[in-house]
Amino acid sequence: MENIIKLENISYSYYYKIPALRNIYLEVKAGENLAIIGANGTGKSTLLQIMNGLLFPSSGKFFLQGYEITERALKDKGILKFFRTKVGYLFQDPDIQLFCPTVLDELLYGPQQLEMDAQEAGERAQEVMEFLGIEKLKDRPTYMLSSGEKKKVALASILTLNPEILLLDEPTNGLDPRTQSFLMELMLALHEAGRTIIVATHDLCLVDELQSSVAVLSEEHEIAKVGPATEILGDLDLLLQVNLIHAHRHVHGSISHKHPHSHFEFHRH
Amino acid sequence: MKDKVPSFLKKPPPLSFLKPSGQRQKISFIEKGINYLAVIIETAYAQWELASREGLLQKIDARIKVFFLLFFVFIISLKHSFAVMTGLGIFFFILAMLSKLNLIDFYKRVFLFSFFFGFLITFPVTFNFINKGKVILPLFSLSQPYSFWIYQIPQEVGLTKEGLQSMLLIVLRLANSLTISFLIIYTTPFPEIIKGLKALKIPDSILMIIALAYKYILLFAQTAQAMHLAYKSRLITKSPKEFAKKWMASRLFILFKKNQAKGEEIFRAMLSRGFNNQIKFFNFRRPTWTDWLMGTFFLGLGILFLMA
Repeated sequence: MENIIKLENISYSYYYKIPALRNIYLEVKAGENLAIIGANGTGKSTLLQIMNGLLFPSSGKFFLQGYEITERALKDKGILKFFRTKVGYLFQDPDIQLFCPTVLDELLYGPQQLEMDAQEAGERAQEVMEFLGIEKLKDRPTYMLSSGEKKKVALASILTLNPEILLLDEPTNGLDPRTQSFLMELMLALHEAGRTIIVATHDLCLVDELQSSVAVLSEEHEIAKVGPATEILGDLDLLLQVNLIHAHRHVHGSISHKHPHSHFEFHRH
Repeated sequence: MKDKVPSFLKKPPPLSFLKPSGQRQKISFIEKGINYLAVIIETAYAQWELASREGLLQKIDARIKVFFLLFFVFIISLKHSFAVMTGLGIFFFILAMLSKLNLIDFYKRVFLFSFFFGFLITFPVTFNFINKGKVILPLFSLSQPYSFWIYQIPQEVGLTKEGLQSMLLIVLRLANSLTISFLIIYTTPFPEIIKGLKALKIPDSILMIIALAYKYILLFAQTAQAMHLAYKSRLITKSPKEFAKKWMASRLFILFKKNQAKGEEIFRAMLSRGFNNQIKFFNFRRPTWTDWLMGTFFLGLGILFLMA
């Protein structure tokens, strides 16, 4: 399978001083399910924003289907349209992403920009609302929704564009267990439907559920390792080193003990 | 879940190829403004955060620097001599160098403000129909002098020596005041400036408001910037002006709501930590002999400038 995304030695610094990414080399194949994991502040969101053409690397190159994506390139209307319909981005905070008056307007925003036929756009919006179970919310203003509903609407607003690549930034963060498992199933269903899914997270349960390929970002903002989920989740030394698990005291029945704590090696259910 | 996937999502996305159109995508000034505003505030905050601690001014106690700032602004406002202004400018330049600031960025900011708030505002006084004086740069001649409202327009219109001198002096004074203010801001962490202001007997409640406002400006800027990025990520073609206005209004509303909620949360957090309407800031360390030495040096130099 061909590479759909290629990052070649990408580095990025905020204000030219605070390093966020260092020399990142990453290839993502079409239809791949990739999780980018790392502790807080390792550069996961920055990496996703570079892949969405929102930030541009201080050095290195970003290719989409072999085309180099630069700030200059994205100023061209044709390239911008190609890029934005190809890559959808779910922000961590749905509040900043939703800006239309109602839920339905949110879902129609993308298709309208593509100048899609009104009936087709309406059908797409309806199908996506049914898929996500948000039909009842369609006339509601987005600020009247709960966090989980906002997340679903934000995702729905991207899906109506039918993007080939979905970039999801901490999709399950701060959601209740039911919404979390709903989103996990949704990601698996979309992956099976052929979408390339790239998730930035520090939630190892999500990685375990998705059984994706995993790229581990270290606290030095570099790629520490790339490999399948089983291999990465089984590598406790690596997870300890990159601050994704830690050794702490806890209780099992009457026994209290301390050891590196990952829910995959010792506590798997 | 798998069975419910919409039919259009089950099909592979239509094959699309990158076709440059040759047409440039323009982003409206509203969006640009939001992004630049956020970037400026954030950069200023980071500049403070990252201010090098190795330089000369960074090592001096904030109180000494605040007094130094006020004293020198006082000198600048009293003196009307080019020599003193130039001398002060050279002194501030040396201080900026010894404080290891990025001189190009630093003076770019000083000159930008001096240009807008000094040069542009005072430029009209250089014309002889605004201020009478000796014309040293004639611009054009009229067939006869005119009287208009309170103005007398002479036959020969030009720039006067007195006008140019006044303008130059005002621009120099403004540039010097800005330089010394920026010098203090760039070399002093914000909490230290607050403590320095405390030494001037400004009430703690006012200082608390300033400190809180400054801190949450960054959060506000980050949210505004993230909103802009989120908009950009869904922008496929140029959106109509009407939509941009609606977007702006909806974002302002969301920002207002978020800030209101944040304000309430902060107040509850303050209450839970024992806040009882009495605000007290900690005092700060005792000045070292280096602080006193530098303070004396600044005072002596200031007196010399005053006497010059």
